[in-house]
Amino acid sequence: MRRSVQELFEEYQNNLYAAAFNVCRNAEDAKDVVQDTFIQYYSFKKEFDSEQHLRAWLMRVAINKAKNVNRTFWRRNKRSLEDYMETLVFETPQSEELFETVMGLPEKYRIVIHLFYYEDYSVHEIGDILKISDSNVKVRLSRGRSLLKERLQEEWDDDE
Amino acid sequence: MTNKEKYKQAFLALHPSGDISMEVERMAMMSRKAKLRAAAAAVTACLLVAVGGGMAYAADVGGIQRTVQLWINGEMTNAEISFDGEGNYVLSYLREDGSVGERGGGGVAYDKDGERPLTESELLEELNSPEVVYEDDGTVWVYYYDQKIEITDRFEDGVCYVEISENGEPLYMTVKYQDGYGISPHKYLSPESFN
Repeated sequence: MRRSVQELFEEYQNNLYAAAFNVCRNAEDAKDVVQDTFIQYYSFKKEFDSEQHLRAWLMRVAINKAKNVNRTFWRRNKRSLEDYMETLVFETPQSEELFETVMGLPEKYRIVIHLFYYEDYSVHEIGDILKISDSNVKVRLSRGRSLLKERLQEEWDDDE
Repeated sequence: MTNKEKYKQAFLALHPSGDISMEVERMAMMSRKAKLRAAAAAVTACLLVAVGGGMAYAADVGGIQRTVQLWINGEMTNAEISFDGEGNYVLSYLREDGSVGERGGGGVAYDKDGERPLTESELLEELNSPEVVYEDDGTVWVYYYDQKIEITDRFEDGVCYVEISENGEPLYMTVKYQDGYGISPHKYLSPESFN
């Protein structure tokens, strides 16, 4: 199956942006990543088995591109996370604190936490997207949760 | 509220600014033009021949466009490259199956006067760097000039060491799984020393 870029863009741009931002922590870089992801979709002409397959592919490409941005020693966009956060509107102070705390986690925990809590992916699906084992996902998820609990205290429950 | 609800509420604040859509459309249009040009080139192949890694100027599409020869996935490939003059490039090339591949990139360098966009020659040099590709089937490959090395099973604790060479000059690569790589002509870099 294939869908038009425009359709996918409307549906997934926010999710891909959030995932890319989660990895590279920079608005301009995340925007470039989203753009490049859709261009890759357009150019690649890959057929997908299902909507789920397509969504996971887009997510994987965006995350890998964001990681590539991180590995580049010359970062194109240098606006700091702090500056960018001042432009964001959070519903509650707790939301802002949670956002800031997540952004302070190491990348390998951050992205696993994001795919689980924001995208509702299962452990197995996260492993498939990140190309790591299920047990590795569980470890990262568990360590990420512990760090969130440690830093957010009662603002972060013990539920999964 | 559950943790998931709290998390989603927090990250709802994130959304991209509104001009991505137009940019995607512009790039898609550029890609379509590249495809047409590539199809025409298949008929009149001599138009796209670059000599010895040199460059031939072609018609302009939104920037300075050139035809170059470079290694892509282990194959010497004719590609069209466009520079926007601000340190960015878009590269399009014809794959074996006839589809058009496209990739882009860019960057800045820092010198004594501060930040500046990379020059075209610096960007071209960057294109010949080794590339680590994570395929959808889970395999991992290093591409460097005409070399194609599978490193899928060579990772230990998420790190793999690979020696590659070009013209007898070795390059030592330390690859961190899904987390970039470091290279040196002298020794393997420690995984902690980069990223």
